[in-house]
Amino acid sequence: MLALRLGRGARPLVLVRRLLVVAASAGVGFLLLCTLGWAMGHPAGSAARLLWCLIPLAATVQFAVAVARTEPGTRPRTGLSAVGLGPARLTTLAATSTAVSCAFGSALALLLFLHLRSDPTGSPLGGQGAELLARGQSLPLAAMLTLLALVPTFATAATGMAMRHHTRRAARPAENVPPPVHTPSGLPWGVALTAAGLAVETYASRSGGGSAPPLPGQFDGSSAGVLAGWSLTAIGLALAGPGITHLCGRLVQILRPGAIRLLAGRTLMTEARNIGRPLGVLCAVISGVFAATSLSGPGAVRPFGPLTGLGAALVIGCTAATLLTATAESRQARAATTTTLHHLGAPATLLRTAAAVRATAILTIFAPLTWMVAALAAIPLTA
Amino acid sequence: MVAPPDNDVLWARSLTYSHNGSPALDGVSLGVREGEILAVCGPRGSGKTTLLRCLSGQLVPQEGEVWFNDSPVHTMSAVLRERLRRDRFSWIDPEPALVPELTAWENAALPLLLRGASHRVAKVTALEWLDRLDIGQCARKRPYALLQAQRQRIAVARALVTTPSVLFADEPTAPLHRTDRAQVIRTLTTAARSHSITVVLATLDEEVAALADRTVSLLDGRRISSLGPTEAEGQAACSLSV
Repeated sequence: MLALRLGRGARPLVLVRRLLVVAASAGVGFLLLCTLGWAMGHPAGSAARLLWCLIPLAATVQFAVAVARTEPGTRPRTGLSAVGLGPARLTTLAATSTAVSCAFGSALALLLFLHLRSDPTGSPLGGQGAELLARGQSLPLAAMLTLLALVPTFATAATGMAMRHHTRRAARPAENVPPPVHTPSGLPWGVALTAAGLAVETYASRSGGGSAPPLPGQFDGSSAGVLAGWSLTAIGLALAGPGITHLCGRLVQILRPGAIRLLAGRTLMTEARNIGRPLGVLCAVISGVFAATSLSGPGAVRPFGPLTGLGAALVIGCTAATLLTATAESRQARAATTTTLHHLGAPATLLRTAAAVRATAILTIFAPLTWMVAALAAIPLTA
Repeated sequence: MVAPPDNDVLWARSLTYSHNGSPALDGVSLGVREGEILAVCGPRGSGKTTLLRCLSGQLVPQEGEVWFNDSPVHTMSAVLRERLRRDRFSWIDPEPALVPELTAWENAALPLLLRGASHRVAKVTALEWLDRLDIGQCARKRPYALLQAQRQRIAVARALVTTPSVLFADEPTAPLHRTDRAQVIRTLTTAARSHSITVVLATLDEEVAALADRTVSLLDGRRISSLGPTEAEGQAACSLSV
């Protein structure tokens, strides 16, 4: 009940973030139900389709965790801790509100699925609509409920684990928490994994084709190897993200910085862990999208269907929204510093310029990196 | 509008302010002379912080006037008041309020960097002040690695580094033990006197107020005539608050 009350009193932006979680959860739920519908008619090879759903699922869970961390209602406050709403209880509260929004999304997905099934004429799923929705067949209830429970379960568990650490850390006074200014250790691992992933992908694209799972578009090589390579590259980029962000910050504040460069660089170095990981994931997703578009041509054997589009939109939307939410979280974390700077008479333009410098630095490093990874990933697919 | 007396660097007339309806100041007038250390005394909730924030241009009084060197602070735009705070005033909070990402000397040099001073000049000046306040050995550490007393001295160095016209110190010794308290307040007053910086010092502490040139007492948002230490806690204050 407290979660609902806190949600009702929240600002519109917070509610919008919650609604986005609901929408993402509904999208993944719908994808899973459609996979089930397809599997009713085509039992063979449907496991591969289910595996594809894992990517949007992971993106949604990541987004739900990011939103839970940003929620102002679950931020530790000394007053609330004094009345018994400490880190443990706040973790429960965050997990509850995540569970509620994801379950609501799953329910919406079920309603939409049932509505489309009962609607015999117009279906947005195109020609395969009848097969995807398994019209005329009875669906196993237990399977549907299990699939719909996936997003709420995973999101709640991940939120609980993330918030346990987060609330404990935030419960201490800001000045006693050592800011993580040391270089995040993931950079060498990340670079190694990215390189290994690209190598695996190149190697796999030469070996014999026709194996499951089928890739959308036109591709002749070993798709399992290529997917393994892609996953390795994505994990590598996510691991390397914090290190690269930290490096950005270090470069910005190098060589006799003035106030703007000093503040922008140090803030980036401190935030590297928070925003670096979503940045790395977004980078991986964008390069994946570039590589995937290189697969599809006018004469593709398997053209992109509406569900591929929905999945891709979910993955891109969730990773971008996660990055924005992480940025909002770090802005909240910097609120005390911003007040201090205002007291010192720092003009608002200085803070805005520092933010612009940070954004520019990140873009100048990450945009070429994304392009490079995308180009390297696309070479074996098109050659 | 009446022009303020010439010898006052900062001058306020019948300031009234309420935080969202809760009254904080009720008709407070005072003048601060050039180079003096003025203590604003009073119990918690008597309006000391609000008075200092009105005088330093962080808040605009709902009624009354604030003049700084013949310029009206209460009619200035927010941008002008910001510039005034940056160029002529400095501020010490009860908590050190340092920027956690920056090292001690960078924190102390921040006001100079904000004014556009070069990196080298800012660094040299900040290190000089840290040495004067006996925390030169902590210059390269970050706030989390320092003791509260050391952090507060960095905040004092940050306030002094620009040699401002007026320094506002809002209970600067509140979180400290007595030995640290005496040292912080002594370094602050000594530095202010040797550089002829005007100081407005809000404090609960009678010992701290004794180091000031003059004391102004506040109670329930009103100015009361200075009382002895025993009377201020006792019935005299109560009768005056009616």
